Amino acid sequence: MANEKPSSAVHNAAAVSESIRIENQNRAREKRQLFLISLTSVVICLLIWEIAVRTALINPKYLSAPSQVFQSFITKFYDPKPDGAILPVHFISSLYLALVGYFAAVIIGIPLGLVMGYSKVFYKLINPVFEIVRPIPPIAWIPLSVIWLGIGTTAKGFIIFLAAFVPCVINAYTGVHQTNPTLINVAKTCGANDWQIFTTVCIPSALPLTFTGLRVALGNSWSTLVAAELLSAKAGLGYMIQQGRSLVRPDIIIVGMLSIGITGALLSACLSRVEKKFVKGRNAR
Amino acid sequence: MNAKTSKLRDLALSVVSILCLISLWLVLSSSRPDFFPTPQMTWERFIELIEYPVSKVSILGHIWASLRRVVIAFCYAVVLGISLGIAMGWNKKIRAAVEPIFESLRPIPPIAWIPLVILWFGVGEFPKILLVFIGSFIPIVLNTMTGVALVDPMYLSVSRVFKANTLQTMIHVVLPASIPAIFAGMKASLSSGWMVVVAAEMIASKSGVGFLITRGSESYDVALILCGMILIGIVGALLGVVLTLLERWLCPWTTKKEK
Repeated sequence: MANEKPSSAVHNAAAVSESIRIENQNRAREKRQLFLISLTSVVICLLIWEIAVRTALINPKYLSAPSQVFQSFITKFYDPKPDGAILPVHFISSLYLALVGYFAAVIIGIPLGLVMGYSKVFYKLINPVFEIVRPIPPIAWIPLSVIWLGIGTTAKGFIIFLAAFVPCVINAYTGVHQTNPTLINVAKTCGANDWQIFTTVCIPSALPLTFTGLRVALGNSWSTLVAAELLSAKAGLGYMIQQGRSLVRPDIIIVGMLSIGITGALLSACLSRVEKKFVKGRNAR
Repeated sequence: MNAKTSKLRDLALSVVSILCLISLWLVLSSSRPDFFPTPQMTWERFIELIEYPVSKVSILGHIWASLRRVVIAFCYAVVLGISLGIAMGWNKKIRAAVEPIFESLRPIPPIAWIPLVILWFGVGEFPKILLVFIGSFIPIVLNTMTGVALVDPMYLSVSRVFKANTLQTMIHVVLPASIPAIFAGMKASLSSGWMVVVAAEMIASKSGVGFLITRGSESYDVALILCGMILIGIVGALLGVVLTLLERWLCPWTTKKEK
């Protein structure tokens, strides 16, 4: 009996490692297969698009083939025609506006939300105003801000600020509000004062949700910026696609849309990077 | 007793806060009433709005025009989005085929589609419905997909033990289990749809609440802009309330879980 045990264990271990190997192999094969499916689907879509436009199945006045879009994308880097500026100029003008409004909202909104989460009196004081203003989409503020502040940087910055402000405040508030009461009690037991509790317990535990708010706010401010530029602007990616429409240049519109999409995705990827650095032990809860 | 006083205090604080907002409005507007109309002027403009239609459409007609666009597009988005989301969450191959296209379209804000859609379909009713559809389709699909993919495998095993076929598993296990996620997606999509319809109406339209505020800014009628904004806010908030009620009615277990 005693002699049998080790050999069967060795045997078992070999069987297990063998089955793990097979499992891994299967998984890798499945992954490869799924990747192939993804690749073919993208290629087929692009091909259909290209062929439909080339054979004039879709009027080229309305849609440009992917190859043409790519070409326009390259030319747009040095050719200011037809809307008066090259792509990087539009891009920087949009990015500058979005970031100014966004950072203003973050700098004011996050502390406000954190304090609202900590002090009930403060929350009750601010929240009604907030609830009245919140359902109005930031885009609806555009005409008012144009009348008040003109069509310059200030007006657009203000609208982007509004768009980013709400998610910042709400998420920071919810984050602090949901702090585990046990942790607060522990801090109290250890003799921490209110300020220490706020800075060392509430704020760290609010960080994950705050970052969610930051991400939502970034998306909001980027898409609101596009709306603001569609309605009133002299530069920027939104202005570029609007010009593309009035000049019936679908390639310019699509280049603009793609640039907007790519920039938005990149911005959110940057934020995820920052989040990973700051928020540790997110799954510890 | 203690609970009562704290409730009273909360009420008092809310009243103070709203009074502060109104007095701030009064103070700011009293210096330049043409620039920023007083609350009273806004109210009068609102009464006038009810009595005299703007561009031959009454105020209810404008609200209805916007709502109709949102509701039609939302229904299409719900039906198609939930179906696609379930298919993508259930079958890895479908997901692999559709997801890359989806992921590349997703970061483009729906508002950025406005010029292209106007170029394709003009400024009629259909392009606006299409825009709202674009805005509300994506959150529903993504949430449904996540909800279906995250159904507890235990439930699926149980349904397999009871020899349920795929359709039965779908209807009795997968759908109820993923409904909270679906409703979260629907809420996000409805508020995004409302925003898109306002944007689309502001850019090119002859009716709807977005048109009201554009008309206000064109004719320098700031009170009309304020009325339009307040209406947009109220209708948007009501839409959210309706959906929450619907959720409570359709699936009472989700709200219980939250508490």
